[in-house]
Amino acid sequence: MTASSRAQVLELYRAMLRESKRFSAYNCRTYAVRRIRDAFRENKNVKDPVEIQTLLNKAKRDLGIIRRQVHTGQLYSTDKLIIENQDMPRT
Amino acid sequence: MASRVLSSCVHRLPVAFAPLPRVSMLVAAQPFSTALCSTGTRTRPGPSQPAAVLMQVPGRVTQLCRQYCEDHVLYILKLYNKIEPEKLCINSHFMKDLGLDRLDQVEIIMAMEDEFGFEIPDLDAEKLICPQEIVDYIVDKKDVYE
Repeated sequence: MTASSRAQVLELYRAMLRESKRFSAYNCRTYAVRRIRDAFRENKNVKDPVEIQTLLNKAKRDLGIIRRQVHTGQLYSTDKLIIENQDMPRT
Repeated sequence: MASRVLSSCVHRLPVAFAPLPRVSMLVAAQPFSTALCSTGTRTRPGPSQPAAVLMQVPGRVTQLCRQYCEDHVLYILKLYNKIEPEKLCINSHFMKDLGLDRLDQVEIIMAMEDEFGFEIPDLDAEKLICPQEIVDYIVDKKDVYE
């Protein structure tokens, strides 16, 4: 992997994880974070530069999808699930 | 999963550490720092608290000191499921000693960003490869006194 594609991969990884944390729906949020981590790790050892570029392009498209879905989810958000951590004052 | 554990413990951590929740007033800053930092706080003359350090986030600690930063960095790292807590020390290299890779390092730096509440740019983030460097970076960026 060349230095520039390595930098791109890490930059995309960070950007996708950051964006995914902004989902308001618990399920979407946890799925996105988990899927991003698994997918990047699965393709960690790919050597062919053409394939790497294909995967990077797909990741960029997916980042766009995540951004749009985060925004849509925020427009139509519902209550938090009971299992999500709320900031509760300790007595 | 690790990130969920990380984020859930991050939310609970300041409450566990701070004896007085939701206090973010300048007046309370002095007793705060002595309560949290068992070592290394020196008496400072008068109202010379660095205003930038006081963060008005409810439920979070407002006064930082180096010991606090170190403790929190190590705590967050211990929560990460790919790190064995026994092997972790302040100078352990992520790649060489702990066997992590660049993707893990990105996740760790993001967890630190969430914990300390400020964004670390990519160029700086890729250079932080042991806990000591992270603490030094945070101390530098947050203008924390010893």
